[in-house]
Amino acid sequence: MGKRFLKKELAFLRSGRVIVGVALVGIVVSCALFAPFLAPHDPEEQNLITTLLPPAWSAGGDPAYLLGTDSLGRDVLSRLLYGARVAMTVAVAASFGAMLIGSTLAHLAGYFGGKVDWLIGRAVDVWMSFPPVVLSLVLMTGLGAGISSVILAIVLVDWTRFCRVLRAEVLVTRRQDYVAAARLVGFSHWRTLTREILPATMPLLITLLSIEMGIAVIVEAILSFVGMSVGANQSAWGQMIADARQTLYESGWNLVLPMLAIFVTVLGFNLLGDGLRRTLDPRLLQAREL
Amino acid sequence: MIVQLLGLFARRLLVAIPILLVVSALVFVVLRVLPVDPAAMSMPPNATKAEIEMKRQEMGLDRPLPEQYAIWLGQTLKGDLGTSIHFRRAVSSLIAETLPATIELAALAMLIAAVLGFAGGLLLFHLRGTLRGEAADLGSTVLMSAPDFLWGLMFILAFGVVWPLLPFTGRLASSFARPVHTGFLILDTLIEGRPDMFLDALKHMVLPATALGLAFSVPIMRVLRSSLYEIDHADYIRQARLRGVSEGRILLRHALKNAILPTLTLMGVQFGFLFGGTLLIEVIYSYPGLGNLMVDAVRNADLPIIQAVALAYAAVVLLINMIVDGLYLVLNPRLRTA
Repeated sequence: MGKRFLKKELAFLRSGRVIVGVALVGIVVSCALFAPFLAPHDPEEQNLITTLLPPAWSAGGDPAYLLGTDSLGRDVLSRLLYGARVAMTVAVAASFGAMLIGSTLAHLAGYFGGKVDWLIGRAVDVWMSFPPVVLSLVLMTGLGAGISSVILAIVLVDWTRFCRVLRAEVLVTRRQDYVAAARLVGFSHWRTLTREILPATMPLLITLLSIEMGIAVIVEAILSFVGMSVGANQSAWGQMIADARQTLYESGWNLVLPMLAIFVTVLGFNLLGDGLRRTLDPRLLQAREL
Repeated sequence: MIVQLLGLFARRLLVAIPILLVVSALVFVVLRVLPVDPAAMSMPPNATKAEIEMKRQEMGLDRPLPEQYAIWLGQTLKGDLGTSIHFRRAVSSLIAETLPATIELAALAMLIAAVLGFAGGLLLFHLRGTLRGEAADLGSTVLMSAPDFLWGLMFILAFGVVWPLLPFTGRLASSFARPVHTGFLILDTLIEGRPDMFLDALKHMVLPATALGLAFSVPIMRVLRSSLYEIDHADYIRQARLRGVSEGRILLRHALKNAILPTLTLMGVQFGFLFGGTLLIEVIYSYPGLGNLMVDAVRNADLPIIQAVALAYAAVVLLINMIVDGLYLVLNPRLRTA
């Protein structure tokens, strides 16, 4: 079935989103994986003689520093590449964590209903009354700075994104005849949930996962921007933005480049998520055939 | 209808109070697992262990956690939010100074988000099915990938540095003495009868509010577009079309009225997020509001402020949700007859 979808969808501009999304994410992931081989310099090596160099192609640029240097003479390209490592680590770990908690609770709430649903629903209400940034700052204060705290904070904040959306989907699926049939045949709750309901909610789950990865990249940037993520000398995109803000008038490039990195990464995840939603969602497919 | 509105607000209040209680307890517990010792932080570095221990007792940190929480809750209900460790001032007065600034900024940003969202949603719907529509749709995905703080930074670079058009730090030029009546600068400058100062205050808000509003307008656009899509297949729209009613009139008089409701629900959630979004925008624009207070407090591990500000954010979000629910009731005739 998957193959048939692919063939049909390849003709559409819509799957173009998936292709472009995968390409963008692929580039960022390879930057992250191969940062030590790709980076021309040590990202933490300071050189106070060559500070705030513009990119190599503009006047006064040095070809040894392709994208210029920051206020401490560190190579911007190398810092961007190593920053991708932080961003991708957080994106993958945090979004899988949030998905695991959020979708488990969503399936329990939607499948069992009643008290379980009520309890999980109220927990989501409490969480939703916090702006996510505020909650993650409170959590970061409790957990202390550092990349593992960032991951944990995002998991603890963003599980509700999965829970809210997926619960509704589970509710719809649970009422299907084939689920009732499975129960009648004698499937256990666990087997019904994993074999009958999960496959139906999987497309939405994958879509949400992709979008959550983009959100995690943004949150990591925010937290490293306010100095709560990696150490001051380590490379993270938010940290680079915070540094560049101090030398706004001398070098706009230092600000633009990490912003561009964040934007491209998030765009990749969003295009992927959007494209997947369009190609995987059976209701959307039906609507198009009408 | 007023009775119904009051009933709704009373019901929402009954839900909001337990939520706020749980929120406050959560914040309290999270902050108490902190690796730093607030007592030691509020003392000079050469304080002896005995002195710190005395301070701990004075601050009540030696008592069991539930008791600490009960004391804090009792004081909070009396309006005493404690004293900031860093600023050595009452937290309630710090919040009273900064909250109006944040509300002002958020309100303008919401207005911008609503206007852009509706205009964009109508445009996206109008262009449906065409190549330009596909491009606009793709454009909205691209726009959505730039979060509010990236817009904020981009605007600073573009309209503050490269093309110095608008100010991008603080609420008011330092040449003005800030009038204090309500705390809302826009109102205060009008009360003072100073149009020049009013304009300056407004200018300071344009970039941060637009950055926020722009980021939050995209989801509004997309939901309005898809609810218009759904309604477009409804019988009464087909009827109107058969009667020869013009497309513009169908859109504005028939479709929009019904499409507005799901959009409004989303806007309620969005505005809650937007209010949280002010936090980083304030930091970027050195705008003296709740967000800057919070980030400073987090950097200084200033627990009384963090607790109080987190609670203030939650309270405002719940209030926004309540107002949106009220609006929903006013705008949806189907809910009114019951």
